[in-house]
Amino acid sequence: MHKLLLVDDEPAITENLAPFLQRAGFDVTVATDGEEALRQIARLRPDLVILDVLMPRLDGRETLRRLRRAGNWTPVILLTQVGASTERAMALEEGADDYLNKPFDPYELVARIRAVLRRARPGQPPLAAARLLVSGPLRLDRLSRRASLEGQELVLTPKAIALLEYLMTHPDELLSRERLLDAVWGWDYPAGTRTVDTRIAELRRALGDDVVQPRYIETIPGQGYRFIAPVEAGA
Amino acid sequence: MRWRHLLILLPLGVGLAMSAMLHYWEACPVFYARADAAALSVMAGLAFSLVLAAGWTVHGLLERKCRAALAQLQAQAADDRRRFLQRLDHELKNPLTALRAALANLAEAPTDAAWREAFVGVETQAQRLSRLVAELRKLADLETRPIEHAPVDLTALLEEALALARERPEAAARRLNLNLPRAPWPLPVIHGDRDLLFLTIHNLLDNALKFTRTGDVIELRAFEDGAMVIVEVADTGPGIPEEELPHVWEELYRGQGARGTPGSGLGLALVRAVVLRHGGQVALRSRVGQGTVVTVRLPAR
Repeated sequence: MHKLLLVDDEPAITENLAPFLQRAGFDVTVATDGEEALRQIARLRPDLVILDVLMPRLDGRETLRRLRRAGNWTPVILLTQVGASTERAMALEEGADDYLNKPFDPYELVARIRAVLRRARPGQPPLAAARLLVSGPLRLDRLSRRASLEGQELVLTPKAIALLEYLMTHPDELLSRERLLDAVWGWDYPAGTRTVDTRIAELRRALGDDVVQPRYIETIPGQGYRFIAPVEAGA
Repeated sequence: MRWRHLLILLPLGVGLAMSAMLHYWEACPVFYARADAAALSVMAGLAFSLVLAAGWTVHGLLERKCRAALAQLQAQAADDRRRFLQRLDHELKNPLTALRAALANLAEAPTDAAWREAFVGVETQAQRLSRLVAELRKLADLETRPIEHAPVDLTALLEEALALARERPEAAARRLNLNLPRAPWPLPVIHGDRDLLFLTIHNLLDNALKFTRTGDVIELRAFEDGAMVIVEVADTGPGIPEEELPHVWEELYRGQGARGTPGSGLGLALVRAVVLRHGGQVALRSRVGQGTVVTVRLPAR
């Protein structure tokens, strides 16, 4: 059974979420602020931490930063808003494994936990913390926001870069259009599914990816997209 | 008159003193001028005083005007904030009341079917509150988030927005027209965030579909006007009463005619926020019984 540490200062959240996660088959411990979280992580060695951002004493961001600085790569899901590019850069520096916007659907949280646990490489930094993402001839520099294919720089809109970044940090995972909207755009759009499709088409054009026999982005009809090529952290 | 206003007289005083000195000084220097140096210095002093006096008067007037304008702005901001809080209170009250009623039903449900019904009620209201929060966050986000400045093909965007509107069930009973320039040249390329601009047009068409009746006409049109591109969404719907017009762009505002129609009261506020971020302007004209036209002006580059 996987051990989870749920960190949130709001009892209404932990009291309702902890039993839900337990029923979903996890062993759940609750901490109410960052300092307590750091103590519990050292003591319990959880498999995954769910960390809220706004907390008294030590907030989620600082908690995560301290954890990573200490070389601890326990997977972390940060409960926060990531939409704007400045926040994304910050997110990269923090090295969270995934993000979820409040208010979220608890079933969505369970799905994310399972995905992160599946992806996690014990003791190693996650792809989400890598500055450079490499998939064969495709390279994405997350700090300078530039992508290249076989050494040729790709001309992409900032939104397309953000989308590629999310796809490459979640390889081999089925990503619904709703989830991509939430993670990359930061909010849902009325014509959201089309919005995602438009940018995926832009990426495919730039990558020269074939829709029928894709090398990188696969369409799962009626469900979403999946980045099928293996991804590594580059040096 | 404050003390500093007396300073105005200083140049005049200096002029007079110099004049007296020059007048009684034996070795008075001679200028080859039509007036003697003494008179000139008085006049120069007088001129300087007059310039100072005029400057100060204008400055004082401007300052008073600025202060009045600032006070008015502050009063309006306080007013807007109060109205916003009232509307927010109202928007939260209804789903919360429904939520509490549904919870009471959940606790006392006599049958499984009744329990399930109450459960769906709770879920619906929770989703309604989530949507409201999401919309409010969008608005707050829009004012600060960096927006994309990529070339946008407006013709394709408008065609796509109209195609999406045509898929709506209401669209079958309305006439939807698209009027875009093709000759001698199409709409210019504009720079901006395609997704946000799409959202803008989508919201305007959505409003037009929601507030018109069977047989009404909805027109989406665009044209070039100097350095701007004008996009208009016009309809032959019931129109908006004159007294409601100043409020239509405000957050959470819902007119009398909108009461029975689902919506958050944030659609137009979002439209305005997006257009302002693109350096454009919005306007709305409406006549009761005739219809409404919303105009979006965007800089073309």
